[in-house]
Amino acid sequence: MKIIHQIEYKPARVVGGYTDRILRLDLTKPEITIQKLPPDFKSKYIGGRGYALKLIWDGTTRETHFDSPDNILVMSSGPLGNEPAFPGTGKFIVGTISPLTDTFIDSNIGGHFGPILKRSGFDALAVTGISKKNVVILIDSDGGTIAIASAPGYDEETDDGALSYGEKLITEFNGGEINDSLAAVTAGKGALSARFGIVNSLFFDVRRKRLRSKQAGRGGTGTVMRCKGLSAIVARSNLTKVNANNAVDKEGVRQAGAKLKAVVSKCDTQQLNLSTWGTTGLVEYMDKFHLFPINNYQYGQSPESPKIFADVFLDKYLDKKTPDGCYYGCNLACAKGAENVKLTRGPKAGEAVNVDGPEYETIGAVSSMGIFDPQFVMEYNWYCDEYGLDTISTGVSISFFMECVQRDFLTAADIGYELTFGNMEAANRVLHEIANGQGFGTIAGQGVARGKKWVAERYAVRNGKSQEDVMAELNKFGMEVKGLEYSMYITKESLAQQGGYGFALKGPQHDEAWLIFIDQVHKEIPSLEDKANALKWFPLIRTWFNATGLCKLPWIDVRNPEAASTPEPSKNVPTLEYYVAYLNATTGSHKTLQDILDDSERLYILQKLINLRHGKGTRASDQIPWRAIGPAYFNEYEARAEYYDEWLQQELAGNKMPETAQERHKLLMEKRIKTYQHLCDIVYEKKGFTSDGIPKPETVEKFGLMDRQARQLLGQLYK
Amino acid sequence: MSKQMVVSVKFLGMQRLITDTDSLEMPINGNTKVQDALDYVRQRYPDLPLEEGMALITVNHEVATKDRVLKDGDTISFLPLIAGG
Repeated sequence: MKIIHQIEYKPARVVGGYTDRILRLDLTKPEITIQKLPPDFKSKYIGGRGYALKLIWDGTTRETHFDSPDNILVMSSGPLGNEPAFPGTGKFIVGTISPLTDTFIDSNIGGHFGPILKRSGFDALAVTGISKKNVVILIDSDGGTIAIASAPGYDEETDDGALSYGEKLITEFNGGEINDSLAAVTAGKGALSARFGIVNSLFFDVRRKRLRSKQAGRGGTGTVMRCKGLSAIVARSNLTKVNANNAVDKEGVRQAGAKLKAVVSKCDTQQLNLSTWGTTGLVEYMDKFHLFPINNYQYGQSPESPKIFADVFLDKYLDKKTPDGCYYGCNLACAKGAENVKLTRGPKAGEAVNVDGPEYETIGAVSSMGIFDPQFVMEYNWYCDEYGLDTISTGVSISFFMECVQRDFLTAADIGYELTFGNMEAANRVLHEIANGQGFGTIAGQGVARGKKWVAERYAVRNGKSQEDVMAELNKFGMEVKGLEYSMYITKESLAQQGGYGFALKGPQHDEAWLIFIDQVHKEIPSLEDKANALKWFPLIRTWFNATGLCKLPWIDVRNPEAASTPEPSKNVPTLEYYVAYLNATTGSHKTLQDILDDSERLYILQKLINLRHGKGTRASDQIPWRAIGPAYFNEYEARAEYYDEWLQQELAGNKMPETAQERHKLLMEKRIKTYQHLCDIVYEKKGFTSDGIPKPETVEKFGLMDRQARQLLGQLYK
Repeated sequence: MSKQMVVSVKFLGMQRLITDTDSLEMPINGNTKVQDALDYVRQRYPDLPLEEGMALITVNHEVATKDRVLKDGDTISFLPLIAGG
């Protein structure tokens, strides 16, 4: 490989979960520097998302866009990543300014890259600048070098693929052999064509004896990576994985990990069974409760859904015997995969590939296009990973355009072919066009928010209507908030989750709050006050997971039986106590659960400030599509008329029901839209914001965030 | 002669594979409770994991306590405690 710039270094030792070093790379100059962090940096910003937020708050401006040279691509684990004695410690965060939302986005990702980066001496890496030619970054802690090198070319097919290219590159870098001392992150050609490109995390699975991949899917982090001219980053460390964090209290770590592993081992097989099915099992439960998106979230249930239930994937594709953890020591082991799946579509038709997945979200993205074919799911999964595309945003964008056709906003002539729900060949065609930046793919690859504008312009001209009127109609069913496409849950019947998506600072992704069951089924949070409290608490605890390098699933998806006797079982506090113990044993701190929530709130407020700086932080940015609130169109109402009428009857509390179904539908939507606004008011108050969703000065000061930039920003907003 | 009252127990996910069916009908009288349905299912399918604290019992899609009296046509499910990934 042709080295463009290289430094020699001595990797810093990990102590108490931290190296206190950030690796900074400027691809324009090119330059590589190692930044030593002051002692209070980690106590204030924790790691992971916190580090990404602070670097981006300080290092970018309102004028920074996803493709600006000063945009920063941050990758960071956290103090609790990198520990096989505790489940779920392979996570790291990719954070940047998003091509979709034009503000901060981060996405968490599993695999070995975060732990190896830390063992290589870095709590985070931060890439700025843009290289004119494609480059790769090589971090070789064994050899004591860090290099920016010209991206080696293999052949066109390999060079375009995130998975194929990563495998070739790692093999070359390691002298022809792949083993678990290396990991890489890559982005394929689709990441450059579309705004929702992903970062793939490649790691060697010693059980399957092959490279596997996990994805930072949301918000276009891979697009930023490719815009920087960066094809891949490889890291190598042969340091031992055991006690790699050099915990202050090793026995304390062991005990906390043993307790969590015991709960996972006892309970998972009796609950969601993630260790056997991965997240595919959710499809059946979501379908039962009308939460599974069909035809762009119009419906939540379909008689065809059983064709893509978990047992179908288990029978046909998934390996039943292999424990599939994405990092060592995780006995939840939910990262399912399939070997030798023969592709029947696309440029690689006829080839057999290994598919890592599918996850629930990918299956939901396919059902959202009205498709219920498991083979299509597998191929869609693989092509999206190889091209470097988010399965969620790809599917939701295609679904949106399908509905535009259904409602006559678009015609086949606009698209070039019949793009209708359930049309597998058309969906497949758009997918490849998005990846190649060809045909209608150039439009679909921009995502729903920009897609709405494109449709509105065309439709308005053709029909002599105002673009504003058309946009108002498209806003009813264009499933995005802040520019990010919805993840794959229907929120119509859960007011709390309407807020869970609407208030999510990054846009409607459920990693801030997933409250559907405790709201809609358990009825644990009946009042607006209860929902608002949940909408404050869950985003804070979930933020902490994203700051520490931890996977949330062993906490949130495996209910500790002891939780049943606590005041709020859904918080699963007995398990959270293991996490608090693990934190204190690793870092030597003496924190309580409340301390952790306070630490997270600082990060939450900082993210809010970045959103405000980029014009995405006020009440207007928390508004959600009608479809997220209820049956946006009459056909949705009709599909569950009896249910909706009963709901309305209760709301009217004895007052006369409107006579016609159309009137009842209209009234129902009016009531729900109004209620969402009430929720906004209460949630903002709980969070210390004004009624416009802006943090009050005292809220910012409370967390030590009132620096010169914050003062100036709030001064402008309060004018 | 009056019609026998029945409730339906739905099996989802792994339960469906263990029981080899997606539902079971159970005769009830005016005093049959959720706990009776639980016992009935446990007796027929001892391999079904229905330990205390591991599943959420719902009747007609809403959480139910074990002392709830069942009505003709009710649908009972034992759900995992789903809280979102």
